[in-house]
Amino acid sequence: MAATGSAAALAGPERHGGDAAQRFAMVIDLRKCIGCQACTVACSTENQIPIGKFRTIVSQYDVRDVKSGAVESFTLPRLCNHCDNPPCVPVCPVQATYQQKDGKVLIDADRCVGCGYCVEACPYDARFINPLTQTADKCTFCTHRVEAGLLPACVETCTGGARNFGDVKDPRSTVSKLLAEYKDEIKVLRPEMGTSPHVYYIGLDPRFEGRVQGQAALWAGAESEEEKS
Amino acid sequence: MSNRRNILKGAAALGGLAAFAAGYAETTAKTLKGLSSGSAGKPPRGKVTGNAFDPEYRVDPKTGKLELNPDQQVSFTMCQGCNTMCGLRIRMDRKTGKVLRVAGNPYHPLSADRQIPYKTPVREALLSLTRKGDSGLPHRSTACGRGNAMLAQIDSPYRVLKCLKRAGPRGSGKWKTISFEKLVEEVCEGGDLFGEGHVEGLRAIRDLKTPLDPENPEYGPRANQLAVVHATGDGRNQFIKRFAFNCYGTRNYGHHGSYCGFAMRAGSGAVMGDFKKFAHGKPDFEFCEFAIFLGSAPGNAGKPFKRQGRMTAEARSGGKLKYVVVDPVLTNAASYAARDRDSWLPIRPGTDAALALAMIRWIIDNKRYDDKFLSAPGPAGAKAIGEQTWSNATHLVNIKTGAVLRGKDFGWQDGIEDEEKAKKAAKAFVVLDEDGNPAHFAKTPKAKLFFDGTVVTKAGPVQVKTAMQLLKEEAGRFTVKEYAQKCGVSPDRIVELAKEFTSHGKKAAINIHGGAMHSNGFYTAWAVLMLNALIGNWNWKGGVSPSGGAFPTFGKGPRYNFKKFPGKVKPKGVFLSRSKFPYKKTSEFKRRKAAGQSPYPTKAPWYPFSPPILTEYLTSHFDGYPYRIKALISFMANPLYGQAGLKTSIMAKMKDPKALGLFVAIDGFINETSALADYIVPDSVMYESWGWAKPWNGTVTRTSTARWPVLEPRQDKTAGGEPITMEMFFIAVGKRLGLPGFGDKVIRDSDGQWHPLNRPEDWYLRAGANCAFAGKPVPDASDDDIAVSGVSRIMKDLEKTLKPEEVRKVAYVYARGGRMEDYAKAYKGEQLTHAYRKPLRIYNEKVGRSVNTMTGKRFSGVPTWHEQQFADGTPIREVYPLSEWPMNAVAIKASLQSSYSMAAPRLRMIQPDNPLSIHPDDAARAGIRTGDRVRVVTPQGSAVGTALVRWGVAPGVVAIPHGFGHWELGARAHEIDGRATPANAALGRGVCLNDLGLHDVRRGGHATLGDWATGAAARQALPARLEKA
Repeated sequence: MAATGSAAALAGPERHGGDAAQRFAMVIDLRKCIGCQACTVACSTENQIPIGKFRTIVSQYDVRDVKSGAVESFTLPRLCNHCDNPPCVPVCPVQATYQQKDGKVLIDADRCVGCGYCVEACPYDARFINPLTQTADKCTFCTHRVEAGLLPACVETCTGGARNFGDVKDPRSTVSKLLAEYKDEIKVLRPEMGTSPHVYYIGLDPRFEGRVQGQAALWAGAESEEEKS
Repeated sequence: MSNRRNILKGAAALGGLAAFAAGYAETTAKTLKGLSSGSAGKPPRGKVTGNAFDPEYRVDPKTGKLELNPDQQVSFTMCQGCNTMCGLRIRMDRKTGKVLRVAGNPYHPLSADRQIPYKTPVREALLSLTRKGDSGLPHRSTACGRGNAMLAQIDSPYRVLKCLKRAGPRGSGKWKTISFEKLVEEVCEGGDLFGEGHVEGLRAIRDLKTPLDPENPEYGPRANQLAVVHATGDGRNQFIKRFAFNCYGTRNYGHHGSYCGFAMRAGSGAVMGDFKKFAHGKPDFEFCEFAIFLGSAPGNAGKPFKRQGRMTAEARSGGKLKYVVVDPVLTNAASYAARDRDSWLPIRPGTDAALALAMIRWIIDNKRYDDKFLSAPGPAGAKAIGEQTWSNATHLVNIKTGAVLRGKDFGWQDGIEDEEKAKKAAKAFVVLDEDGNPAHFAKTPKAKLFFDGTVVTKAGPVQVKTAMQLLKEEAGRFTVKEYAQKCGVSPDRIVELAKEFTSHGKKAAINIHGGAMHSNGFYTAWAVLMLNALIGNWNWKGGVSPSGGAFPTFGKGPRYNFKKFPGKVKPKGVFLSRSKFPYKKTSEFKRRKAAGQSPYPTKAPWYPFSPPILTEYLTSHFDGYPYRIKALISFMANPLYGQAGLKTSIMAKMKDPKALGLFVAIDGFINETSALADYIVPDSVMYESWGWAKPWNGTVTRTSTARWPVLEPRQDKTAGGEPITMEMFFIAVGKRLGLPGFGDKVIRDSDGQWHPLNRPEDWYLRAGANCAFAGKPVPDASDDDIAVSGVSRIMKDLEKTLKPEEVRKVAYVYARGGRMEDYAKAYKGEQLTHAYRKPLRIYNEKVGRSVNTMTGKRFSGVPTWHEQQFADGTPIREVYPLSEWPMNAVAIKASLQSSYSMAAPRLRMIQPDNPLSIHPDDAARAGIRTGDRVRVVTPQGSAVGTALVRWGVAPGVVAIPHGFGHWELGARAHEIDGRATPANAALGRGVCLNDLGLHDVRRGGHATLGDWATGAAARQALPARLEKA
């Protein structure tokens, strides 16, 4: 997960705020995700996101094994990856988007002009313009809760116990232990972008690392083409 | 990865990817505006944290010092987002009284992996949820998606806050507000209430002496002409049941079970020998090694939703569990990420019994059953082999009468002087010992499992078979191959399943639920659950667990006895649903016999082993068989939406005041049924009300969930200043009519002193005292417990109502959201602590001796194969052939929406609609593509929905998620005092699958299609066809 790639070439503001002795990350064990969307609703409630906008959501797919015909359900929780090399930061013309020393990528709404460059720069579609504030919006790792010694809302209410959150610089933390235990199986989304995401997945089929050309909700998006594998 | 996988279009049932993308697409338009003018939006509260709430408390992750946020309150109470009734933690703003967010109660096993020890102080419970030492991860206690969103119900714009009386024709949606007191007066006294003629009030109907039908005196008194119906076991059901049965004295109380999952409960009752409470079990998820979920979907649907989901998720990753989900529709229960730990096996709708019977046959033929367990004929035999229960597999059955042989058939009581002992000897079951001699079940350690022959009784030789022999023969009616053809699962796969199921000793289990809600539900569920008995997995770690049960609350408890009160009425007569009452004892039977006619068939089935079933209440009334009612009181019940086929069958009649006299609904919302009421009584919702619930089965420790008003109820108050609730309504009616059980001196304490029932607190707090004092009483709550938990809000009520020594103990329980046994008590060695000790029935005598009144034939006393059929036995596909109805419509549970959650905006934004799942082959044949509008047509209904073409559905099936297609609950505007109420058409989106339900056209009248044996609603395997709309 080295911080290499095209985005690394761009200069951004210095990291500021937060404690450099910590680096927050999420480890999501997909085998435990039951697709209940508790995280989605809890995040939306905790952060008072306007209805219909999402800082996190669980995408859901039927996956069919072409050979055996077996079909199973795949659920993929998605959120801001709090990358070590975040493409959203250098594109911000007013330095509203910045990264803390503890790795959290945040947005200063006082500075944000809502230009949407960061929204387009994010390879994870994790950002949106909040229709209420007219500023860029996304997951903060519930920084207000984490600072208070609490867990992010989505982690706290993860029914299947899939989401884990903590400090990867602390070797005794749950996330550090999971990263060590599943060393060979840990995957991230879109590794080819060189963004060094800090949302790690256990049980992620490499086929889902990229932008999945699945057909999502009928009510929210248009049909797209079937991916040929 | 070696195998090639194809990521599908048509994959997503939910809107994740697209929702993210929508935010992305919108930004381009904003770009210029933002750059030129700066952000024009409303600045958020925090420049970095947006509009996020302040944390409810802060903790120093190093020292663990906890600092409460004085502006907020965290309290533990109960959820009511679905039927599971999980323990929640509610976070409120003290100033505004608004609920900010909810999550799980860490003391509660339905919400936490392993609940924290009960003695934990509340402050430490809060600490356990934090980042200190990463404690919050293993001690995570959650609310599901729906549980998280349902707080919106409290301040919902669609909520009913005042007493309403209709101001137009019934169902017109025109209402006027009236005072609570006036409402009570009118419904009690009746009169020309609507200018439509005289309406009989509750006072006139309550006649406990005069038979309602002199021709059929066994139907009971006129008081039975009030039906009181209720939604579910929400911890308040005891109150309404007591009113109906024991205060008012009507026979007709019923709840939604028969259109929810009753087929499973009935089948389970048959194998567990319990037709009273219909006991059932669940796999012991934590230690199970192999499970089959047939028409049930842990983590997607079913109760307990979260616990099953969480335990399965844990077991398929960390634990040893492998499982197969057998269902016409793929759900989230089968996880791709868990790889070979689980799989989905599609099956033809309504044919699960064929799969189960094929497995039974193979297991018996190959002697893969637990011979030791099944050969133990009684308690002594069971004890000798370390079992906590036993079965009647070896017991002898008279094949001519269906009776189980007993000691009296052999004169075992003869010569015994002690009367009790003689009775016991006469009742003893009879088995054949290993030498083939008739023997006493309790004195024989091991008996013959299979026998078909003659034994000599006192009355002479009798043809007998053992229960196991009967099962073997019944399952042997078809070969595995023939069963395979019926269900569409290959014979090899069936054998594979049977092999695997019998390869884990006691650590395997099979489970069924809503998938059995079709016209052959009872025998299906029974066949499936019989498999558990065959491997003797009951009460074993990793096998099947009954519920850990609850502490006594409303029964005869250590502090108060709620069971007895002066003037308590014992209801008499025949249930509207013709349940339980033996048809042979009716006047009708006698009349028909006397006239030399056959007493069969009857106009509608008499259900010998069903409880009162709501599926038959209203239809029986409109058909006048057995009789009509004059008034209906419903509490949150919504059969018109929930019961397949009922809307098309009776809705028009419900609107006619001549066809149904008085209809009073108690509900915080106007649902599809209460919209047709004459009066609506508002009620507390969610976290505003009192209650005591027991957890759903699958919870291995003892638990009582406390529900208490953690905030001020929003609805109007009575003249006396109490919030208007279901309880206050019945108390007021009871007092006005002078019914027993209300007012002063109606609740007796253990010292023989009497206490009042004038407000809900009188009832629920004393039940709380029973809970707190059960067994070893709980400790006293500390000041800190009371303050931190917000129980200070109700301390005045506790002090006013309870005895001084009870106050702090009850506060201790409320502070923790109930009383919970510690996880450490769940197991004793290799067995579950809370065991089922009654014998299992391989042969069920009650069933085997009962007569189907539609055919005059006896029911099979062991599971057997039936096609989907009408009540008279006519196969449904004979009337509605495949050539005209090539599809089967099936219901699935949406993991997010329940039948009443549609108004919650944060659910609707994720799942606003319920597209109809169709297999690609069917879609190609019909020229249907994803996104097309399609019409599903069944013999009695049709509905237009959006097609979702996906591989995760069996061919020939159209799958419809439940919870959508509402026409009330806010989907349309009503008019109260001339003003339109808020409405949102989006609440009506999607298809209500029950609009497509069938009628039992062979019965005629208003009957909807039901399980032919028990009357449970049939919402699965409905003949259907698809048309492009």
